[in-house]
Amino acid sequence: MLLDWIAASLIAIGAVFFVAGTVGLLRFPDIYCRLHALTKADGLGLALVAFGVALLADSAGEVFRILLIWFFVALASATCGHLIARYARQSGEGDAHD
Amino acid sequence: MPTRSRDTSADTAPARAPALPASLPEVPRPQPGRTRRFFATLLTLAVIWGLLTEFRLDALVFGLPAVLAGAGLVFVLPPGRGWRISPRAALVFVLWFGVQSVRGAVDVAARAFSPRMGLRPGFRRYPLSLPEGAARVMFLNTITLLPGTLSAELEEGAVVVHMLDTRADLEADLGQLEARIAALFALPRK
Repeated sequence: MLLDWIAASLIAIGAVFFVAGTVGLLRFPDIYCRLHALTKADGLGLALVAFGVALLADSAGEVFRILLIWFFVALASATCGHLIARYARQSGEGDAHD
Repeated sequence: MPTRSRDTSADTAPARAPALPASLPEVPRPQPGRTRRFFATLLTLAVIWGLLTEFRLDALVFGLPAVLAGAGLVFVLPPGRGWRISPRAALVFVLWFGVQSVRGAVDVAARAFSPRMGLRPGFRRYPLSLPEGAARVMFLNTITLLPGTLSAELEEGAVVVHMLDTRADLEADLGQLEARIAALFALPRK
């Protein structure tokens, strides 16, 4: 029961960080600042949700799969953030404010 | 079995050498045995696949080709530079990095919700001092998860970092990250 509450809290806090990432995506002035919001806030959001779900998992296999998903998403988001920023710099699209 | 497989890898290496133009001499580098690395990769991928599918036999229809193809990349891709990790430094790094990425996320979330946001974005160059390979890749990827910094581009021996607030002390933050990654990979400190 206590575990359920801890898991639910972690997932809820994780969701707050996802909302923060999206708010940053909408409010921040340019592509680079938006990348900060997406890579960092959503990354922690996913980590919290994954941790919460892992607490509720039935088997070690499930925990492993959650961990694997988190690891690859974290790796991909840092790498994609770099690639998008590099493309924006090289193509000059990052200078355009909207 | 390992002796036999090592023989085949020794056979293929000289067989390929004459195919190269004379202007491109084969780079001599100590190979840790491609066949050995193939089987190590095969085993790792097979275990991951097994855990993903709860060791269901019918899933091997997809798993077997995928695992073989993945391990086969050892023969296609050039071997990476060797690296090792210091276990104690790794534990310290993971804890420190966890705290930093939470700080980074809280910082950017607070800015997103605050009316003024407090942004003073801009780019800074930071010269790379870690050796190429795993340590440098680690450095570039972790920059992005530290508070307020994003690795944006590589430029001859330097990384272009985007900062949410250019008043922050970039040299101190990245210098500390570099020192911790050097410790993680047990590299000699300058």
